[in-house]
Amino acid sequence: MKALGRCLALVAAACLAGGCGSKKDALEVAAFKGGYGIDFYEKAASEFASKNPGLNVEVWGNPRVWDQLAPRFVSGNPPDLSLPGWDMRVWALIYDNQLEPWDAALDGPAPDGTGTWRSKFLPATLKLGEYDGKVYLMPFYYSVQGWWYNVDLFAQHGWKPPKTWTELLALCDKIKAAGIAPITYQGMYPAYAIAGFLFPWAISAGGMQAVDDAQNLVPGAWESPAMLKAAQMIDEVRRRGDFQDKAIGMSHTVSQTEFIEGHAAMIPCGTWLHSEMGKQLPPGFRMQFFLPPVLDDNKGDPTNVCFSVEPWIVPAKAKHKKEAIAFFRYMTSLAKAKEFVQTKGTLMAIKGSDQVDLPDYLLEAAKASRQAKVSWSVMYGQWYPEFSKETEGAMSALLSGSATPQEFCDRCEAAAQKARDDTNLRKHQVTH
Amino acid sequence: MRGRARTTFIVSFLAPSVALFGLFVCVPVVQAFHFSLYRWSGLSSVKTFVGLENFRALFKDSVFRQTVVHNLTFLVVGGGLILLLALLIAHCLQGKGKAVSFLRGTFLLPQIISLVVVAVLWMFVYYPDAGLLDGLLKLLHLQRLSRAWLGESSTALWAMVAVFVWQGLGFYVMLLSAGLRGIPEEVLEAATLDGASGLRRFRKVTLPMLWSIMRVAVVYVAINSLNVFALVYLMTQGGPDRKTEVMLTYLYEQGFKNNEFGFATAIAVANFAIVMGVSLLILAAFRKDPQEARAAR
Repeated sequence: MKALGRCLALVAAACLAGGCGSKKDALEVAAFKGGYGIDFYEKAASEFASKNPGLNVEVWGNPRVWDQLAPRFVSGNPPDLSLPGWDMRVWALIYDNQLEPWDAALDGPAPDGTGTWRSKFLPATLKLGEYDGKVYLMPFYYSVQGWWYNVDLFAQHGWKPPKTWTELLALCDKIKAAGIAPITYQGMYPAYAIAGFLFPWAISAGGMQAVDDAQNLVPGAWESPAMLKAAQMIDEVRRRGDFQDKAIGMSHTVSQTEFIEGHAAMIPCGTWLHSEMGKQLPPGFRMQFFLPPVLDDNKGDPTNVCFSVEPWIVPAKAKHKKEAIAFFRYMTSLAKAKEFVQTKGTLMAIKGSDQVDLPDYLLEAAKASRQAKVSWSVMYGQWYPEFSKETEGAMSALLSGSATPQEFCDRCEAAAQKARDDTNLRKHQVTH
Repeated sequence: MRGRARTTFIVSFLAPSVALFGLFVCVPVVQAFHFSLYRWSGLSSVKTFVGLENFRALFKDSVFRQTVVHNLTFLVVGGGLILLLALLIAHCLQGKGKAVSFLRGTFLLPQIISLVVVAVLWMFVYYPDAGLLDGLLKLLHLQRLSRAWLGESSTALWAMVAVFVWQGLGFYVMLLSAGLRGIPEEVLEAATLDGASGLRRFRKVTLPMLWSIMRVAVVYVAINSLNVFALVYLMTQGGPDRKTEVMLTYLYEQGFKNNEFGFATAIAVANFAIVMGVSLLILAAFRKDPQEARAAR
């Protein structure tokens, strides 16, 4: 009994000294364990440790890593480097001065080749993490958002992905005639419809400025002719019965299952779709990406692409900032970036990393990303979550037919006004 | 045992539980009141004192008012249905035999199942077209009634209330069954001999003798209705368009999604006050036990 007590005391002392489960002075890396897992980071950590004798790198992660990170930030003992995942409000951390800017390191030499480290990133992906002229959020992999079609279903019927609004409506008629729903969507999460229908069609109707103004809370932007036109287009698709029946009640997994099972021919989603559906994909199922169809008199850049990143962060209170940045720098070398693209089947924010054998489902998305003259992202949801929730509610009402396009715009504009007037809300600017 | 020794004896037994209660119940409650006076992201130690600003914002907040209405819908419609059905079922299950025991167990089943499993099961029931409910409607040639049950503004809240009733019913059947079994048979027989039968006997004899159990059941169902969270969060997350948003899902959104912990704790304080107020009102309404009143006459 005495021995047991002594053992417990020793374990307690060890925990207090070094933190349970981590070696003393190890570089601690916490990562969101989503569809891409954390095995890549674990492998990179052991490679990095072998190149830096005396340095231990510990990687841990899980699908709700943000829940563990929040109390670590509050207690002032955060991990040295984190991929905090999609549900962490990283902007709140920036506002509270909890994050370290990366600029000094970014202006240093690149991990391989010539030039600065900054020059190796796709500029638009770096820009997403800027606040007050400094980069706090580092991009790694990124997703391109657009529409997907069922390749074999299209081939079987001789259909082609529509490029214009007229082509879309004509195709929807053919698809309906074949007894299939033309378009399904993630109705329980209206943010998909904002990124997949509303904003692309607002850009098409009024150019990039229409959506930039909306995200920048410019007075009248949510009631602009372009935004109203986009809302009218959504309403028209609904009234024509081109959306899958009851898609309004479908979660992302349900609607995406409807798509891969061939009950619906097209769906708006990001390049994570393939990894998200993973094991549910029927053997041999093929899907391909295409840009949302534009108006026949398109006013937007025809190559514009919507994308998003899940950023990495170094806390201001990290104990090993230098090593954390060095490790992340190692992971963004061209060789490692290419390895990530190949093993995980996603695109990376490092220039040239897509010059590998990409999986078929990524080919068109990669091409669209390469050719894009304008890249944009839906950022207002992260900056103004309350306002975002209201626009999602309005979108839900529009999709269900309980709000007219004008009512949708009026409701969003009223919410934008409220956000504009909220002096506690830090304001951001999207520019192109 | 002498007085002082007796006191020491009692205190030594009570002290640990009082200390634990204080530490893990009272302190967090007081802390919640304290946090509601600050603007705090919940992600750092940076807090700004804002006084009663969070409460002022809360009282002006139309979404919060909407959540209270939804909670009250759960209470009045859901809670009312639960108590009515539980009373009816408990009354029907007063007999003896294996079939009755089996049925009693069956009604308790949803209570035993984890809420997560209940949510998943009912999401399959409401699954568009391929779900159990739509399947049933198809079978009855009533496809025209088919809906995106959880996705449409007009049906989502009622669909959630139905799950709430299904999940909670078993406990109240058990509670009221036990209450009904506690009524002496001779009292009921005497009432029958006096000519009171059926609904009249139930109203004049059974119900008054169930008074104290009913009081517990009503308070309990009120607390559960006003604190409903997991089912709503798992099945709709308050959607579509906040049509199923309740106080605690809104609190969760403000605290853990929007990182407005000060505002979220203000919601917690308001929720606490509402639950306390409603519980006290119910207790006041049930204050006079008709049996005691009759005995006093």
